[in-house]
Amino acid sequence: MPPNMHCTQSSHLLTALLTPTRTTTSPPAFLLPAFAQTSPFSSSTPCSARKDHNRNRGVSALRHTGLGKNQRLSVRLSNLPQPVLDPLRRSVVKVDENHGLWGFFPKERTRISTPEESNMHGRAWTVQELRGKDWDDLHRLWWVCVREKNRIATTEVERKRLGGRFGMYGDHESGQRVAEVKGTMRCIKFVLTERWYAWENAREAGMEDPEVDLYADVEGGERAYLPQEEGEETLSLGSEDDARTDPTQRLPPPVESTVSSEARVRV
Amino acid sequence: MAMAAAAPFKVGMKEIYLPNFTVCLKHTPSQPPTSASFLVPLWFSKLDLRDYLHNVYSLAIGPTIRSYVQQSRIRQGQVKDPARPQYKRWHRPRATKRMTVELERPFVWPAEPEDFKPWNKEENKMADQEQSAMQERLGGTKDALTIPTERRVKMREQAKALLEGRERWRPGGGRGVEGIGMFSR
Repeated sequence: MPPNMHCTQSSHLLTALLTPTRTTTSPPAFLLPAFAQTSPFSSSTPCSARKDHNRNRGVSALRHTGLGKNQRLSVRLSNLPQPVLDPLRRSVVKVDENHGLWGFFPKERTRISTPEESNMHGRAWTVQELRGKDWDDLHRLWWVCVREKNRIATTEVERKRLGGRFGMYGDHESGQRVAEVKGTMRCIKFVLTERWYAWENAREAGMEDPEVDLYADVEGGERAYLPQEEGEETLSLGSEDDARTDPTQRLPPPVESTVSSEARVRV
Repeated sequence: MAMAAAAPFKVGMKEIYLPNFTVCLKHTPSQPPTSASFLVPLWFSKLDLRDYLHNVYSLAIGPTIRSYVQQSRIRQGQVKDPARPQYKRWHRPRATKRMTVELERPFVWPAEPEDFKPWNKEENKMADQEQSAMQERLGGTKDALTIPTERRVKMREQAKALLEGRERWRPGGGRGVEGIGMFSR
């Protein structure tokens, strides 16, 4: 429709009614007044965009914007590239095999995983299994879990969108899968915490222990463990009660009573 | 998973180990294939996302990232025991943060599945329709303006039977111990 035309104009009504698909049929009698009316319904004058006669609008002398004196642009206003609005006519985009975003999709590179595919998972790692792993392995496993959680979250959002009003199955399976992943992550943190406490306890014990030198430079050749040479009877099976039961010791001092003797006499 | 190459942007000194959050990729068909949108934690920044995508997904990104926070609408909380009267638990759930990123290489999402049979979409729809039909049949609310035709026809038949003497009226609808009514099905 031309820009100056309104949908209620009689000429538009005529062209709409008397289309080639319709054979020679005159418009119904009740529509005849529409053709009689020649003026538009709106009484205000239609205003089109005015031409802006200011060539230097938006051009800044301070910022040095705008075209140079003899600068020619490669594109003319009349020759601008037009976007292809119809998605079927657009060129097919070739997606890189190793694109990073594939990490958000299932292994089969489908849009979302089916409930069956979601259900094909094992159990979480146990603490006992992870105790034998070093930091690098645990770190790698953590990030594998994070990527899997991201992938499941992406699937869930898309599945909810595609499900529409009534929804689709797959909620329970995804939930179970995520629970296993979270279990693994929990166990990794458990193992690392355990390790840290063991290290901390050892460090504190080492600080107390006279035989251990924590400031030793082990790589430099110094020894961290320096056992004291006391002889062969270093093993003592003593207890805290030895001072009391040892016959060679003197008798312990008497327990002093808190009540004074003067108070007792008075009573 | 290979270690990421040297970042093309300036990196900071802070090292982060074992973070626990989720970044989700959103489907945006109206955006061109060279852009991608993510749902990120609310405390996330653009620099965080750039670093995350580089290190975790080896994703090369254009110069700018756009972000916005979407506020949630106020809604009622779950009522766990509908029998007891409770406060309405009106609250505004946490807002969500979305970030849009320009990609160096375009990415098109895989096609939608043609048949939703593995997800039982049709069955869900049918179940929902069955349930609403059943609720209508049961009579609906007391102040329902319209009564379903099926029920009206049945009521007419029952009234006719009573008037013609084929059935006898009993108090309580003749509901016995088993719960069978006057006009047992």
